[in-house]
Amino acid sequence: MNKKAFQADQVSKSFGALRVLDNVSITINPGEVVGLLGPNGAGKSTFINILAGYERQDGGTVTIDGHPLDGLSPSARAKLGVARTFQSGRLFSKLTVAENVALGAIGLGNSAKVAKERTQSILEILGIEKLSPYQAESISHGNARLVGLARAVAAHPEYLIMDEPAAGLNEDEAPRLIHALESVTKNIGCGMLLVEHNVKLVTDACSRVIVLATGTLIFDGDPHEALKHEEVKSAYLGNAGVH
Amino acid sequence: MRHGGVTKFSFQNLFGPIIIISALTFFVGRTSASLQLITQFTLCYFMMVLALQVFVGNSGVLSFGHGSFALIGSYISGMLTAPINIKGHALAMNQLWQALVPLHTNIYLALLISAIISAFFAALTGSLLMRLSGLSAGIATFALLGVTYNVFFNNKRIGPGSQALPAVPTISNTYILLLLAALAIVVVYLFNISSLGRTLIATREDAMAAPALGINIYRVRLIAFTLSGFLAGLSGGMYVHVAGTFQVQDYYLEFTFLTLSMLIIGGSASLWGALLGTIVISTIGQLLLMMEQDLPIFGIHAHIPEGSRAVIIAVAFVAVLLWRSSGIANGKEFSIPTFWRK
Ligand SMILES: Nc1ncnc2c1ncn2[C@@H]1O[C@H](COP(=O)(O)OP(=O)(O)OP(=O)(O)O)[C@@H](O)[C@H]1O
Ligand SMILES: [Mg+2]
Repeated sequence: MNKKAFQADQVSKSFGALRVLDNVSITINPGEVVGLLGPNGAGKSTFINILAGYERQDGGTVTIDGHPLDGLSPSARAKLGVARTFQSGRLFSKLTVAENVALGAIGLGNSAKVAKERTQSILEILGIEKLSPYQAESISHGNARLVGLARAVAAHPEYLIMDEPAAGLNEDEAPRLIHALESVTKNIGCGMLLVEHNVKLVTDACSRVIVLATGTLIFDGDPHEALKHEEVKSAYLGNAGVH
Repeated sequence: MRHGGVTKFSFQNLFGPIIIISALTFFVGRTSASLQLITQFTLCYFMMVLALQVFVGNSGVLSFGHGSFALIGSYISGMLTAPINIKGHALAMNQLWQALVPLHTNIYLALLISAIISAFFAALTGSLLMRLSGLSAGIATFALLGVTYNVFFNNKRIGPGSQALPAVPTISNTYILLLLAALAIVVVYLFNISSLGRTLIATREDAMAAPALGINIYRVRLIAFTLSGFLAGLSGGMYVHVAGTFQVQDYYLEFTFLTLSMLIIGGSASLWGALLGTIVISTIGQLLLMMEQDLPIFGIHAHIPEGSRAVIIAVAFVAVLLWRSSGIANGKEFSIPTFWRK
């Protein structure tokens, strides 16, 4: 067992007769940024729901620092250092941007003072401190994605799992997100698992990539190697196209 | 709060409602003896609406069960202050468990005890109920109300059962009730802007995203439910000392429905909404009552059939749910600029 690492070992999951994950094993080391690619319906969201405790696997085990997380609720996992963002943002719409971000720290029992300091610094790092007083429901989609990232980062997690952070971002916003991710890596240094369809974003931001196709892990290695890998090409890049 | 919580403390959000409720109590309460009594009852209802705001408004979980806490608060404060000879000899009380007869204390201590016991009862029942959400929470809290009501209505060993416990001493000074309401406003406001209050609102806004931040939804709801039970118990206690009698029926369906309408119509997401709803529904309710009784309103007689009042308030309730579910206040706290612009 790799100490401190976030690991999934032989994880399987079926919905009825549909086998969505088939003995998937991955390891993310502290501070490592890993991309998770795969065509629609490959099982990516299901996989990260299992990692974060939103879904229960049928077989296999998930560990952090060697401690099994199986059976723990999402909030218990958050307390052990696992943070996540959602494919659809899911901000607390009636609260302000600052309150949303602060709750990332408060949820883990930090004082209001600590939460406030972290909020300020994270919003500055991401360059969105001007948004602080606005109600979350009033900001743009692109900014909402950044706030969702800030809220997860305010927990100072060991590992951050992100479900398609670039989904729905336009050409100006996507580079801002990549920049934001780089800032987070530099400043907080947490390990990341980045589910993405955007191949360019993955090759730019990640040092390693994992590819899922119909529930099976077909590649784990260098992002540029993945682009050349025959099986990956036919399973994923073949139909999604390389951008 | 000194170095600043996450949510900024705002003087006008807090003192606006206090000033408005004080001014209304002062001016309306002095007009006539009957208006004074109405003001006193309204202050009791307001306490209940505040209790509901803390829990229902912030958590988004509907509770029909708060009448239980008001009932228990009222029962305890009434029983602890009614004259010993009444408890021992009144016809309604002839089956009372003898150990309850000599228990006696002054009104203020009784109010405190009743609120604390109500809070304890809320914590106890909440430890089960807070595992539920949505429709099942609504049904289960409704069942709690039914159980509490029936236990007190049918059990003459612990109280007057279906009859009334008379001669409960009254609080004749309206300003004491006002003071309690103002204190409750301060408590609720500070709770709402606290980290815990904001955490509760987060669980209302997105119950899926909140746990990802380490928030334990059950725990924050239970704490709010307990505080809410304290205030509801206090509301019942105040009510019994305005009415001068304890009657189980006073805290059942009509009471539950009226106070929930006040909260929803005013706007459940803010303290200001709770106050607005109480004022608006009390005023309209009073005017409609006068019309039902064919009493002149500013010299004008406009008779409406008996029972219209309940129907009209119910229709207003449904209309708000349909077309403006965030109520009159629309989630906003009191503030001077928006107040003038309106
Ligand atoms: N709760 C569920 N019940 C039944 N089937 C489900 C459930 N959740 C997901 N599935 C199925 O499991 C498969 C994997 O879904 P999943 O959402 O994990 O894919 P994904 O890789 O995240 O896809 P996308 O790129 O579209 O987000 C799909 O075929 C989906 O229809
Ligand atoms: Mg998905």
